[in-house]
Amino acid sequence: MMGGVARGRGHILCEGKSKEAEIKRINKELANIRSKFKGDKALDGYSKKKYVCKLLFIFLLGHDIDFGHMEAGYLFISVLVNSNSELIRLINNAIKNDLASRNPTFMCLALHCIANVGSREMGEAFAADIPRILVAGDSMDSVKQSAALCLLRLYKASPDLVPMGEWTARVVHLLNDQHMGVVTAAVSLITCLCKKNPDDFKTCISLAVSRLSRIVSSASTDLQDYTYYFVPAPWLSVKLLRLLQCYPPPEDAAVKGRLVECLETVLNKAQEPPKSKKVQHSNAKNAILFETISLIIHYDSEPNLLVRACNQLGQFLQHRETNLRYLALESMCTLASSEFSHEAVKTHIDTVINALKTERDVSVRQRAADLLYAMCDRSNAKQIVSEMLRYLETADYAIREEIVLKVAILAEKYAVDYSWYVDTILNLIRIAGDYVSEEVWYRVLQIVTNRDDVQGYAAKTVFEALQAPACHENMVKVGGYILGEFGNLIAGDPRSSPPVQFSLLHSKFHLCSVATRALLLSTYIKFINLFPETKATIQAVLRAGSQLRNADVELQQRAVEYLTLSSVASTDVLATVLEEMPPFPERESSILAKLKRKKGPGAGSALDDGRRDPSSNDINGGVEPTPSTVSTPSPSADLLGLRAAPPPAAPPASAGAGNLLVDVFDGPAAQPSLGPTPEEAFLSPGPEDIGPPIPEADELLNKFVCKNNGVLFENQLLQIGVKSEFRQNLGRMYLFYGNKTSVQFQNFSPTVVHPGDLQTHILSGPAQPPASRPASPGRPSSSWRSWLTQLAVQTKRVAAQVDGGAQVQQVLNIECLRDFLTPPLLSVRFRYGGAPQAFTLKLPVTINKFFQPTEMAAQDFFQRWKQLSL
Amino acid sequence: MIKAILIFNNHGKPRLSKFYQPYSEDTQQQIIRETFHLVSKRDENVCNFLEGGLLIGRSDNKLIYRHYATLYFVFCVDSSESELGILDLIQVFVETLDKCFENVCELDLIFHVDKVHNILAEMVMGGMVLETNMNEIVTQIDAQNKLEKSQAGLARAPACAVSAVKNMNLPEIPRNINIGDISIKVPNLPSFK
Repeated sequence: MMGGVARGRGHILCEGKSKEAEIKRINKELANIRSKFKGDKALDGYSKKKYVCKLLFIFLLGHDIDFGHMEAGYLFISVLVNSNSELIRLINNAIKNDLASRNPTFMCLALHCIANVGSREMGEAFAADIPRILVAGDSMDSVKQSAALCLLRLYKASPDLVPMGEWTARVVHLLNDQHMGVVTAAVSLITCLCKKNPDDFKTCISLAVSRLSRIVSSASTDLQDYTYYFVPAPWLSVKLLRLLQCYPPPEDAAVKGRLVECLETVLNKAQEPPKSKKVQHSNAKNAILFETISLIIHYDSEPNLLVRACNQLGQFLQHRETNLRYLALESMCTLASSEFSHEAVKTHIDTVINALKTERDVSVRQRAADLLYAMCDRSNAKQIVSEMLRYLETADYAIREEIVLKVAILAEKYAVDYSWYVDTILNLIRIAGDYVSEEVWYRVLQIVTNRDDVQGYAAKTVFEALQAPACHENMVKVGGYILGEFGNLIAGDPRSSPPVQFSLLHSKFHLCSVATRALLLSTYIKFINLFPETKATIQAVLRAGSQLRNADVELQQRAVEYLTLSSVASTDVLATVLEEMPPFPERESSILAKLKRKKGPGAGSALDDGRRDPSSNDINGGVEPTPSTVSTPSPSADLLGLRAAPPPAAPPASAGAGNLLVDVFDGPAAQPSLGPTPEEAFLSPGPEDIGPPIPEADELLNKFVCKNNGVLFENQLLQIGVKSEFRQNLGRMYLFYGNKTSVQFQNFSPTVVHPGDLQTHILSGPAQPPASRPASPGRPSSSWRSWLTQLAVQTKRVAAQVDGGAQVQQVLNIECLRDFLTPPLLSVRFRYGGAPQAFTLKLPVTINKFFQPTEMAAQDFFQRWKQLSL
Repeated sequence: MIKAILIFNNHGKPRLSKFYQPYSEDTQQQIIRETFHLVSKRDENVCNFLEGGLLIGRSDNKLIYRHYATLYFVFCVDSSESELGILDLIQVFVETLDKCFENVCELDLIFHVDKVHNILAEMVMGGMVLETNMNEIVTQIDAQNKLEKSQAGLARAPACAVSAVKNMNLPEIPRNINIGDISIKVPNLPSFK
């Protein structure tokens, strides 16, 4: 629609260079329009619109056209113009005139227009005038009403533009206005304004309470037009109750008494028989009721009311209206966090579980799951967790991961005995292995490692779980790790003797991904230490061509080194190197952090930290801290250090240090922390400013330490796949950008930047001349970027448009010139549906990709080793 | 705050769309399409609220909808609105339409889209609820209609413009301009399947 206006203007403006020319042009255009309207009757909708738009535009330019009624003009503006149109400037003048007109119809129309456009420019032009209109004594009701909302709209769009002043006090008094419409609009405005300046509007509390009490106690006919299906002024009541939720309970005892009385009346009315059978009647009544309950929960100080509210919600839980069941579950979630009503909420557990099982509507089921999570404490944890596990089998895919996280958290938080915890997590992996994220299974390993009493049970359980014909890869990971550490605890039983354990694990080996196989290789070498009798078998496995000459450098290296370690080292050295992992230092559960991230900032806090459960001390806060873990560095969010483990850099046979393995495994995990701080990344030279990598960047990168192919990144719009191969100091990486939407991406530009540059400069003192590598023939020198001494990456530009559902490919040629710590950054920018999108990822290029095994005599090695240790 | 109001029929043809936040036209079309897919696949007696929807349902926004005969009325609101309150507002809107058009049907929305916009503007202004009193709304709309009639209204806006042109001292003064019934139709957008 805007097209018409724009085109019209385009025609006029390109040719209308001078004033005369413009008039001439307009006359011509008008003549044209006139003939169009006169000529053929069969003008289609589009042309009519186009011509009316043109007329509108000519009018706005200031030419004297009586454009129908001005209302038509306003309607067009509100329909056709959105807030970033250039036309606004022209429109502003017309509005200014109308605001000053003192004709209520014109003023209302002008205010409507301002509110509907609601741009910053509008705010700049009118923000000062509107408060004046709002509080002027002689303004008509309808004008005040519009002015209040118009001001609210401008305030929301650009709060800095609305000046606070003496009018604020007078706005509060609008709550006493005779006209209900004005009051409703004023309440909306105050609710928004008082969030920023609660003290300025404090007086509104008592006014709101008295207004509310007048409405609540009025007979259903008192308010005439504002009675909706026998409910007096439902919208205003809801708004007033919302406003009161911005403040703590009133301090004045009289006001408070009056308010409590109101709240009680509302609760009482809910019990009365309905005055009408119409659904609208109960809807309106319940809208007030739910808002009342929210206010009671917000105050959280009246145990009596809280319990009544809880009972009321309990009734709704079994109501035949789906809407009410949904809202009741939602409100109960917040109610569960109040210590007064937590117990009362718990009495409804069976109803909620039933809702989870039988409800047909997924939105309601999700609320039920939320509520179960919120009402869980030690007394009902087992029941709730088992119900949620059962639900998981049939849950919608979209919410499975969230449920998995919740189950994991509850199981850990309320575990009385840890065997139950282990069972639960293993069940979780069995039922929904795909949705069990790393955090969850890391956590179970952490807890098992730290608690002696559960280790034997864990080993036995995973051993049994692994016997299932098909088990999830996450199960293999957990099983591999636990058996590697604690397999000896069950080795006494002939059914789980060492050879049986080994062959069980090895039967899964070939079906697993590279990362899991790497983990299993570590398990094998641990077996050699735990069960010397398996040494020959395991060495044979390691020696097999499929390991020693594996295409994956990580697996190959592990095989080579473990094989050498097992044959060279003495039993003592082996025992030291392959010692049981020391307990993990205590830290906040990374699962909780993940859930918070998933639910977004608002929802997360309501779910977990908001809980005030008197019974949950930190007995179950996690694992008890153990003092003996001095030597274990704690990589920030990394549990095992395993996922980022590159091959040990030197044959460990040389290492007498007991915690070598720990060091080796933890070393690389520290690598991401050496990555670019936001400032460095920001300062780093690049074609454009590169933002700091997204928070998940490290996690995504770590997935690729041991593998070369996979999905690097995925969100709702875009998927980035990686295929890469490395040979000696050279690598080639294919990035596949897949558009997951049906809409074309515009200005699509992925760029690669290496943040290490700047650091290197500073560290290496005087800036060296850039080691500009001569562009070899055949390579497009324009896209050459050489990164000084560390990495050289050559890329080609990709097409700027990516069609919906299409995939484009980008090839990177990488040359490693020196050792480096920070991976290069990939910054992806594009426009999707007009909105610019940008994020930065870490490219999965880590130093270990360029590692090569080498042969070296023990003598030489030691010499080098000593040099290294300074 | 109300973020958007959408009306479409059972086949996904949009009959009215009002966005209180600026979106590009393409995005608006996508939002309508996505909302239709979300809403249309739901059963009749499930609840009227739903979360989700990538474009507009993000963060704490909720879709609150009602299904009347051939039309879906969908309001996208943030958490500052009461769900049941909005549900009632939809009812008020529909009842007002019914009063203004006398047994409103889908065709009224097609042929009098300007009126529907006017009615909506009386109820919701810039995403905030302005008026919930049906009588008040109807009175305002009637007053507008009268005003329009007396000033030859929107339907004849082009005619007025033309008459203005007539008086602009142009060499050729047209006589007997017959414009016929000009009403502005919603373009027939392809239905979303």
